[in-house]
Formats: sequence, C-alpha cells, structure tokens
Amino acid sequence: MTSAVEAASLIDEYCVSCHNEDVIAGRGAPPSPLVAQLRESGLALDTLDASDVSQHPALWERVVVKLRAGAMPPAGRPRPDDATNDALATWLEGALDSAAAAAPDPGRRATLHRLSRTEYQNAIRDLLALDHLPKELDVSVLLPADNATSGFDNLADLLFVSPTLMERYLAAARKVSRLAVGDPTMLPIVDTYRLDRELVQDDHLPGMPLGTRGGHRIVSHMPLDGEYLITVDFAGAAREPHELEISVDGRRVRTVTMGDNPPERLASGVFTFEADPPVEIRIPLGAGPRDIVVTFLPRSAAKDESLVRRARRTRGRQPAIAGVTVSGPFGADGAGATPSRQRLFVCVPGTGASLEQQRACATEIAATLARRAYRRPVTTADLDRLLPFFENGRIEGGFERGIQRTLERVLVSPEFLFRIERDPADTGPGETYAVSDLELASRLSFFLWSSIPDDELIDAAVRGELRDADTLDQQVRRMLADSRANALVTNFAEQWLFLRDIDAKEPDAGFFPEFDENLRQALRQETELFIRSIVRDDRPIPELLTADYTFLNERLAAHYGIPHVYGSHYRRVGLTDDNRRGLLGHGSVLTLTSYATRTSPVLRGKWILENLLAASPPPPPANVPALAETTDDGQPRSMRDAMEQHRANPACASCHAQMDPLGFALENFDAVGRWRARSESNEPIDASGRLPNGSTFEGPAGLRAELMRAPERFVTTVTEKLLMYALGRNVEHFDTPTVRAIVRESADDEHRFSSIVLGIVNSTPFQMRKTAS
Amino acid sequence: MMITKKALPRRTFLRGLGTTMALPLLDAMVPAASALARTLTAPIRRLGFVYVPNGVIQEQFVPTTTGAGFGFSPILSPIEPFRDQLLVLSGLAHRQADSFGDGNGDHPRATAVWLSGVHAWERRGRVGPTSIKLGTTADQIAARTLGKETPLPSLEMVLETPTAIACDTGDCFYSNTISWRNETTPLPMEPHPRVVFERLFGDGGNAADRLAQVRQTGSILDSVTEEALSLERTLGPNDRNKLSEYLDAVRDIEQRIQRTESRGDQTLVELPDRPIDIPETFEEHATLMFDLQALAFQADVTRVVTMMMARETSPRTYPQIGVPDQHHTVSHHRNDSEYIAKKAKIDTYHVKMLGYLLDKLRSTPDGDGTLLDNSMIVYGGGIGNGNLHEHTNLPCLVAGGGGGRLKGGRHLAYPEDQDTPMANLLLSVLDKAGVDAETLGDSTGPLATAPLSDV
Repeated sequence: MTSAVEAASLIDEYCVSCHNEDVIAGRGAPPSPLVAQLRESGLALDTLDASDVSQHPALWERVVVKLRAGAMPPAGRPRPDDATNDALATWLEGALDSAAAAAPDPGRRATLHRLSRTEYQNAIRDLLALDHLPKELDVSVLLPADNATSGFDNLADLLFVSPTLMERYLAAARKVSRLAVGDPTMLPIVDTYRLDRELVQDDHLPGMPLGTRGGHRIVSHMPLDGEYLITVDFAGAAREPHELEISVDGRRVRTVTMGDNPPERLASGVFTFEADPPVEIRIPLGAGPRDIVVTFLPRSAAKDESLVRRARRTRGRQPAIAGVTVSGPFGADGAGATPSRQRLFVCVPGTGASLEQQRACATEIAATLARRAYRRPVTTADLDRLLPFFENGRIEGGFERGIQRTLERVLVSPEFLFRIERDPADTGPGETYAVSDLELASRLSFFLWSSIPDDELIDAAVRGELRDADTLDQQVRRMLADSRANALVTNFAEQWLFLRDIDAKEPDAGFFPEFDENLRQALRQETELFIRSIVRDDRPIPELLTADYTFLNERLAAHYGIPHVYGSHYRRVGLTDDNRRGLLGHGSVLTLTSYATRTSPVLRGKWILENLLAASPPPPPANVPALAETTDDGQPRSMRDAMEQHRANPACASCHAQMDPLGFALENFDAVGRWRARSESNEPIDASGRLPNGSTFEGPAGLRAELMRAPERFVTTVTEKLLMYALGRNVEHFDTPTVRAIVRESADDEHRFSSIVLGIVNSTPFQMRKTAS
Repeated sequence: MMITKKALPRRTFLRGLGTTMALPLLDAMVPAASALARTLTAPIRRLGFVYVPNGVIQEQFVPTTTGAGFGFSPILSPIEPFRDQLLVLSGLAHRQADSFGDGNGDHPRATAVWLSGVHAWERRGRVGPTSIKLGTTADQIAARTLGKETPLPSLEMVLETPTAIACDTGDCFYSNTISWRNETTPLPMEPHPRVVFERLFGDGGNAADRLAQVRQTGSILDSVTEEALSLERTLGPNDRNKLSEYLDAVRDIEQRIQRTESRGDQTLVELPDRPIDIPETFEEHATLMFDLQALAFQADVTRVVTMMMARETSPRTYPQIGVPDQHHTVSHHRNDSEYIAKKAKIDTYHVKMLGYLLDKLRSTPDGDGTLLDNSMIVYGGGIGNGNLHEHTNLPCLVAGGGGGRLKGGRHLAYPEDQDTPMANLLLSVLDKAGVDAETLGDSTGPLATAPLSDV
C-alpha cells in the first residue's frame, strides 16, 4: 500500500458500514447492544481524513491496535486478507510515525512524583545501609499501601498525599532514624513471624541449612547490642521428642528438645494431650543484620508421627513451627558498629572533641546525607535548615542524638519524598526541553533500581556526562548488572504479570487438596527466577514465551510431571515438552488466571490480550445476561458449549471471538497449572482455537507458535509496560511512535532486554519533557 | 478418638503473640473524654460507618414487618439485643454506582459511592483519560466539624489488605477506601492494629516521651513548612497541586498537635498493651479493631471512625463458620440454595461483629449514658443484591442513640421503585450529629423521614 487514497478506500470498504457518523453519533436508546458498543467506541471513520493522520493521532492509533490484533473487522463480517490488513496497519503506522517525528511530543511527567512505598523502602536501604528492617519497621507497617492501576503502583497520578500519609511519614522518619543511629532509648521490638498454616514442614525447605527439616529463617536488623528473647510456637503436639535447633549467623546457639507427649487416656476412653508449649530462649545478639534460623533436626528412624495432633495445621505429618517471635533488646548497651552506622557516620568526632569539631563533623554528615537523599548537590540553604536539628538534638542528648534528629528531618523533606522536575525558567507553555542531568539520573535510578541514584551516578550527572551516549550506555549497563536491578523483577515484572496476586489465590481445597504453601511459593519462585535469568543474562524478550528451560525444585517438578528433579532447591531444568515452554506454561500464571474451582478461558484470554498483546478488550456492554450454565433440558453445558453463547450475540462476539480461543488453547492446564487430558466435567479437552482472521491452532504449543508469528506484538507490549513503569505515567497515543521505534531498533539485537531498556532510556519521553500548556 | 486442647494460650484483650514476658510498653493512662465532666445536656456525638461488601441476601436481611416492633430477620438476629437503638432502613438506593456506560466496575463504584453519593468514573473514560475525581465523603464532612476538638479528626480502618487484581476494573483505588478527604484525595484505610493504636495514642514509651515527641514533631513541621513554601516559589503555578496537598497535610497535623498539647489534665482512661500484629483470625482482628474504635471514642481521641469489614470482591474465606468458599464467589450465588445459605452465613457473621462493637459501646459509660447512646453507627454497603450487582434496596441500618436524637426500634421501608437516595440518609445522619451539610452527592434533601426525626 502506498497512498492515503488506497487506505481510505479500504477503510471505506470494510469499516464504515458500522463505524460511521450516523451510527456513532446516534441519539436515544440504542436499538441493539452492538450499536451501543459502537457509540461507546466513538470511532466514526467516515469523518477522519486518512491523508492527514496528524489531525486525530489518538483515534488512528486505536485503529492500528485493532488491525494488529486482528480484532476488526469482527468475526462474521467481510474482511480483507491478512496481507492487506497488515499493509493497511503498516501504512497507518508509517504515517503516524512521520507525523510524530515532525513534532515530537515527550509528554509531561508529573512535577512532583511521590516515592511509592517500595521506592521509599529501597531509598532507605540505599541511604542508610538498612537492608532488612525489623518487622516492626517493615515498610508495609510504616506506610499505607499505594494504589495500583493497570498493575503499576508507581504512577504519579495515584500517589496521593493526605494528612494520614504525612503522619505516617513523620512516624517512619522517627523510627528509621533511631534505628539507623542505634538510639539506646528506642522501644524494644516484638517481631512475630507467623508461618503459613499450609506450609508443610516434613522435609527440607528451600533456603534452610542442609540437613534440617521445616522451620523458618529470619534476616533482620537488630536495633542494639543486647539480650533478645526468641519464642517458638508450635502448630501442635508431638508424641515423640524432636530436636529443635536455633542458629545465628550460621552458628548453632542452642538445641532444645520438644514434643514427647504420650497421650493420656481419659476415663471416657478419649485420648487427650497437651499441645507443645512455646520454647523460649534468651540469647545475646549484636546490633545490625542478623541471620536467625529456627528449625528441626530430622530424626533418623523416626517413628510415625502421623498421630501428631494438629491444633492449627491442616497438613503435614511431622511437628511444625507455627511462629517465631524475636523480642528485645533487654539490657541494651549501645549499637556497636553496624553497616548503617558506618554509612551514616562519615566522620566521628573523638571523645573530647570541641564543639567546633563536632559541628564540622555534623555538617559533613548532613551534607553527605542530604546529597544522597535529595539526589543533587547540597546548598547552604539545605544545611541551614538541617543543622538547627543537630544543635537541638546535641544539646538535648549529645552528638549522636543530634545526628538522629538531622536524619529524621531529612526523611520528611519534600525533596526526599518527591521526585521533583522543574521547567527551565526560559521556556514557554507547551514547549519541549531536555530534562536536566540530575533529573535524568533520578529517572534512571528509579527506573532500573526503584531507588535513589548512587554516588557514582550523581557524580556523573554533576560532571555533565550523562548526555554523552557512551557514558549513558555504560552507566545503564553498570546499573543493570547491579543487584539493585533486581527491582526490575520484583517490582516491574511482578506487577506487570500480577504475580503478587498468587499470594491471595485460594484454590479450592476440595478440588486441589495438594495445593499447599510450599507449592504456592514454588510457583512464584519459578517465575521470579525465570525472569531474573532473562534480565541477568540479557536474553531476547520473546524468550519469555519460548524458553525451553525453567526453574524447578522437586515439589514443582512433580507437580508438572517432570522426572529426575530432586531436593528443595531450585535449579535450571531443560524442558522436553513443548507445551510447558515459556510463561504460558508457568503454574503461577495459569493459577492466577483461574477461579478457585475451575479454569477460565475468558480470564486467561483476557490476561493474554492485556499483558502479552497490549490489546485490552473494552469492558463488556452493560446488562449482559449471565451465561446459561445448563441447556434447555437442564443438562450442564460443557465450558466450550457455554462459551459458544458468546458467539451468538454480536456485541459479545466482537471481543470474545478474539479472547476465548486464546484461553481455550490452555485448557489442558488445570486451575493450578497441572497437565490434564479431561476437563472438570470429565470430557476430553478440546484445545483447538480459531481466531477471527481464520488462523487456527491447537494447545499451548500451537498458541505459542501463533503468537510467535509476529513476535513484535509481544515485544511491543513489554516495551509499552516498561515505558509506563519507567515514566510513572500512562502511555499515551503520542508515545506509541516511540514504542514502535524502540521495538524496530531492538530487532537488530534480537530484542534483547538491554536493547529495550536502552531504547527507553534514549527515547524522547525519557529524555525530554513538555512544559504545561 | 483424640481431642487436642488449643496449642496457643488464649489471647487476652489487645495482646498479640510474643508478649509473654513483660516488656516496657506504653504506660497505661491517657486522658478520657475531655467533655465528660463538661455538661450533661450537650453530649459528645460520635459517628461510625461500617461497610460490608458484595451485597447481602436481601430476603434474609430485610425484616418482613415494618414500623416499631418489627420482627428481626435471620441475618440481623445477632443484634436483636440492641433493638431499641436500631433503625433498619430498607429500599434505599445508590443509583450513582450504576454503570452509565462505563461497563465493568459495579463493585468499585459501590465502594466509592457509599459515603459520597458520587459516580466514580472509570478513569480511562470512554474517550481519553478522565481525571480522578469523586467527592468529599460524609465521614470527612463530619470530621471537619466533629474533629475540631479531638487530636485526630477521623480514623479509617479495614480488615483486609489491598491487592491489585481483586477488583473488577483496572483502577483498584476506588475499592480500597470509603473515605475521601476531598474530591481528589482518597484516604488510606489501615488494617494493622498497632498502626491504629499508634495513630491514636502515639508510639512513645510513656507520657513524657509522647509529649516530647509531639514537640519534636512540631519543630519539624515548622521547618518543613518553610521548606515547602520556598520550594513552591520555584515551581510554575500549575505544578503546585501536589505540593499544596503536602502543605495541607502538614498544616492539618500541626493543628492536631496544637489540639493534643492544649488538652490539659483530664480524667484518665486505662490503655491496654500495644497490639503486636494483625491477628491470625478474622474474628480476633475484627474485635481488636472494634476495641480500638471504642477506646478512641472513650478517650475522645476521635469522634469519626470508618471501617471496612472487607473490600468489594473480597476473596476471603470463612471456614470457621462453614464457608470455605471465597466471599465474592458465593455472593454470585445464581440462586443456588447452597450458595445463598453460605452468603447468608457470612452476612450474619458480619452483623455479629457489628454486635460486638455495639456491645462494647453500650458497656462503656459516657456522660450520663453510654457511648452507644451518644453514637450513630451506619452499617451497610453499596450493593443490594450481590448476585446481580444491583445498587438498589441496599442493606442499611443505623445503630445508637445519636445523643438523644435518634429513635430506634423501628424498620422504615422506602418503596423500592422510588430509588430514595441513600445520600439523603447520610444528610440526615450528619444533621443529627450537629454537622451542617446542604447536599451530598445525589441527595435530594434530608431523608423524607418524618420517622427519623420524631423523637
């Protein structure tokens, strides 16, 4: 296709019989749900001029989405062949891209972008070397949850500021600053770690010392040197004695025998026995990060403990730990040398230091702190604001109290809590400009690390080097290789794929009795490790769907029916079954797109459209009748039969014809991701699908092959999601040409992860900003 | 046969796991209601709002007879002991939660509309993005007046932590709260009892600590205000919104501090131990949070409390009452009698939790009566029939004496076909609490309830 005339005639031929002004702008009650839906779409193509797409780029981008998804014309209507369809899409994209290139629009990131809760936590970690806050100071307790939309919780629009939040920031600053300094007047902690009641502790658990059974590992920052109380609660009572081991930083500090409760027979003939009482031990612990493990030593030739009474367990045949509480310190005597004190106290005035020496040191500490916290060079105004807090604190409680007060003040500054981007003084309304180097440094660190920049990045920005292509490239690669880039897995990917919601899923125990906490953790772990390997090894993005390997332990391998995987640790396993390849074979994804008792082709299809193909279906029309679950003579319908009703109504069919076949292809995976040959209603699975464009496929492998016919669609989705996350705002129609360019350019590099990241970093919306109009 | 005794020691009031040894926790006394001794003729009025999601089984919720001496329905039976201080209202509607062409989102809209009477637009809108905008909710309108004399203007609590996916649109924030400070600021609702406790009573070790903390916070706020104002001067006029939210928040807390400091010597209320963690069971969690609510009223730390028993589309299961299925799932019962029975069990269980609160309030003296006499607790939700997501014939009742202004013991039935806005009831409740409000969302005036006011 070469001309607007050709494009217009195609649109005229295939689209405007429905998408015309008469229908779209109609008034009164819509004569049919289809017309209602057309009106909602607002797309009257007969009013648009294809020869100048720059007049309505937003509407034309929507047309492109529908064409690329093959969703329009809808099933049952005449449609051009795929080649013509693609040619039209390509021509429109070209026209839109040229229009965008003529007048680039970077959009406008928010001027004040509050740190999300995750970003706040990471900033505290990097600012103060506080890697593992005690549970009392866990960020989920310190601050209220942020709101998410389209999956992401770092969008400026939704990061509200309320008095409640401010109150929490003040309390958080007080607590965190006292912990970092090691303030001896801190309240003691009482950290209770409850183990999930569905966690089976009969064998070795991932991450625990070898040769142990069950138990729990706590890595946490102890506030002060002192004595701590460790309380272990048990889930039930054991007939036999069992050895419990408590170790700190890899060294055994105590073993305790628990259990040994011979049942008593009451006069009534009923056996009864007391539950095991909690075990309490007091041990001295040093301030700073401690690694505390409470676990069982497996008994050799153990008698059958199947008679263990489970007061609070529903699974498992061995005694289990219900919870571990760490409380203290008692008799605290200071904070010693913790990593956070080392990071904070960049100088230490010796004993007997003069007031001037103390002030000089405090100034140095405050300046170092503020530069990191505010992500920019420090001004005298900053220090003038901070140092009075040092003075007041020093007078009240000495040098360290003064530093604690200074830190507390820094942590509630708007310059810490908000990422601030200012329009340059000499710009007019609606003008575009390159953001400052320091602003770019923050954009980079919050994108790649979900945290503040480190000294090296700030230094580079201050030296004005970030606009140098090679330096920028090298900085991005350095940051991707840093462990902080794991935020791209735990923050970006988990939100993109809705993985966090696997924790809230409750597959019905009647249908899936084997679904325990161990499996849930394994499902999440598999996907996390998989994505981490894609990021770390800089693999091509399409491999997320096609990889012939995954990460399993024995539990999960057994769940998938994969032999020869032994032990609780996760390792890379090659896949011989094509159906299991890539994310669509991950139990996590398959479980979180299912109902508690059964699979849902609609949920799965919708999830694929939204998260893998960037073609979110519009909401269903109002007042949709529920699907009839039984036939007219009262027989239950099969899932596929029930879904066929979608096709009967054109208002439903326009989306479901696109969505349902994708989901049906995965029907061989049950609601917790196991392979199956028969459905819930005990019928053989029919995993065949036919899309509106006529292409057919069968089963997960077939679906994947279909998706890989145009891998750019998936790469485009990932790019769009990453861009949204990187900017902290919705991706708008004027960003779409940027997304296409990134995808195009990354093709030379097989769409490797780093090529997408670098494409985003070098893009107009990431590098530039538009002033308010 | 074998029987096991409970493995855990019974948890006492406000005591979590791990407090088996004496820790230097908060000392035990805080000032009681400032106005306790003030006057008997002007009781302090408190407001509570308790939200339940996913509709109810209406046939078992709405009493079959109306007026005084109505017969209790099965779901309401747990609160029959409070008959004289209960006003059940049926037939009210929140039509602003309807779709208006937005499609999905009946659940989030129901949450958003409940205390606002305002339609929550799907943010992406039909064409182009729509900005986030709701309306000030009834509790926050009340807090502006009733909160003037208490350290905390209002308290927001929830028994479930938010998730991203368990709401039926992309925009979950409408589902996460029933409380909006203004059109653009939703207030977070807190699930953690310790956070609630510390919001109410501080996190200092003793009274002197707490006072020192208040003073320290005051000096931080002065400095932060100065910083924010100088920051404001460097920004364009359109960029100041977020910063004014920040400044507004800072000023609000400054006022709280002044109110806290100005409270002189007063009667003391005994404080329980600081709660440690979110309790393991729903019932312990609910009762602990309601204990805190009663305590907040008693100590007059706040007079306005909102509470969500669960969020819309809640996936919570209730095996302890024989419902191992998810709440949202059973609410779509499709007229299956087993599911209907399960949903009714959940509804009854929630009402039982309300009964716990009412009992707590009734057993706490306040002025010359009890806290319940001086409170109005609005209980209900934004969905009537959960199976169909309808926003009509909403579950609704008001408990308490309203400081002598609310006459209970009645069931008022409004004709279902008239869609009487529930916002009208909210206006009436505000009025009885001594709060001026002309309109609220889609209200058409105070509830046409001669009955409501015939005290």
